[in-house]
Amino acid sequence: MRAMSHWLGEHWIAVGSPIGLFIAWEWASATGLLREAFFPRPSTIVAHLRQLAADGTLWGHTAMTLVRIGWAFALAAVLGVGVGLAMGLWRQLREGLDPVFAVIYPIPSILFLPLVSFLVPPGEIALVVTTAVTSFFLIAFTTTHGVRQIDRLVVEAAVHYGARGWRLFATVLLPGALPFIFTGLRLGLGFALIVVVAVEIVSTSRGLGALLWLSWQILKVEDMYATFFVIALLGAVLSYGLAALRTRLLPWVQDVAERSG
Amino acid sequence: MSLAVPAVLLVLWEICSRHAIVSPRYFPPPTTVGWVLVDGFAAGDLGTQALVTLTRLGFAFATAAGPGVLLGLLMGMARPVRDAVEPYIAFIFPVPKITLLPFLMIVLGVGEPAFVLTGATSAFFQIVISTLGGVQTMDPRLLEVGRNYGARGARLFWKVILPAALPAIFTGLRLGLGLALVALVAVEFIAAKSGLGHLVYRHWQMLSTPEMYAAFALVGALGLLLTRGLRAVQARVLTWQEEIDRL
Repeated sequence: MRAMSHWLGEHWIAVGSPIGLFIAWEWASATGLLREAFFPRPSTIVAHLRQLAADGTLWGHTAMTLVRIGWAFALAAVLGVGVGLAMGLWRQLREGLDPVFAVIYPIPSILFLPLVSFLVPPGEIALVVTTAVTSFFLIAFTTTHGVRQIDRLVVEAAVHYGARGWRLFATVLLPGALPFIFTGLRLGLGFALIVVVAVEIVSTSRGLGALLWLSWQILKVEDMYATFFVIALLGAVLSYGLAALRTRLLPWVQDVAERSG
Repeated sequence: MSLAVPAVLLVLWEICSRHAIVSPRYFPPPTTVGWVLVDGFAAGDLGTQALVTLTRLGFAFATAAGPGVLLGLLMGMARPVRDAVEPYIAFIFPVPKITLLPFLMIVLGVGEPAFVLTGATSAFFQIVISTLGGVQTMDPRLLEVGRNYGARGARLFWKVILPAALPAIFTGLRLGLGLALVALVAVEFIAAKSGLGHLVYRHWQMLSTPEMYAAFALVGALGLLLTRGLRAVQARVLTWQEEIDRL
């Protein structure tokens, strides 16, 4: 109890600021200072959110989006870590692929949708593959970098003590690159959410992105806010949840992106 | 050597497409795409669309940069500001910024301001976070030394805090510009009726694939130019920083 009141004393602004904002918003929309057609009251939005959740609409769309993110992330993680490790270990491969990656990587992933839909059967598979593209590059990049930054002395010492092949890989190279791999996975998961929403807006009728876009097209403003809230919540869970998971599971592994700001 | 692999891939694609090993309808030979690019620029059409995207990018970046850096610095130096603003930044930052587009469109109407602002918010949050990180992670000894030598207030800011945070600010601006481009191209793909992103969408729908690939390649070139170019500028301008890129 004392700890909590102490915490509150430290963080009262951070807690009070959103509460204050919502009260001000509620009041401004109720009195007509803000147009309720554009800025519905937070209480109205909550009511809509509960209704969407109660009739199951929200769960269906959320589950759809989550499944897509899951497949895309799995695809990007397996291929990305694999290719990244290979690029980190073999110079020729790295030098060959680097320019290809450099050109493809900055292209906004949504543009891959047409290309991918030519390559694989359009529909769900094309959607998942498109979502995986940017995450794949991110994970491959960070993994490559992770392998390359391992201290050469450590590798040489391991080799002198007879570590070769699989043992060298599993006991030296993989643990050494792990912080970077984890950072890559975290960033990749974040990107999967970003891309899947954009792809859902363009090409499907289900999923949170599609729900948001549909609500905008028929001007159900309250549903727009409600959907936005769910997407934001998902983003928070994915990015901060994964960071918390790392501190718990791999406490010795530091997040590279956090370390250098 | 470094260009050998891309060159081989392009030649392979050319051969496969010419001999209909892959469908030339979906994968036209690179030379055809190249000629479409040349023709498009000669006719002025492609250049115009690229200019539309670049103009939007310019406006979006200009809107985001000043306020982003300012807010980041304020948050870094004044604890109450940071406490008050951080919850919103933390909540909005991981959200795909494209989801803000419908909100901006109902408030501002369907048009340029809504498009540009979607790109701007994408850059804004990155710039704020990088700037804040730059101020927060600066060596506290620098601050102490500055204070001991009598630097206070504005002087402390201009002589110590700002130079220390500058590499992070520049990194934020560079990443922000890239993110703004990504968001804008998505906006063009989804909602706008002009720009390179829209060009890809339209030619996809009409299945005029050479034109689609031409626009696609142009976006890639633009992205490469921005990321590589700015990194080179950063390395040249901010010579006192240690390492620029983490990835």
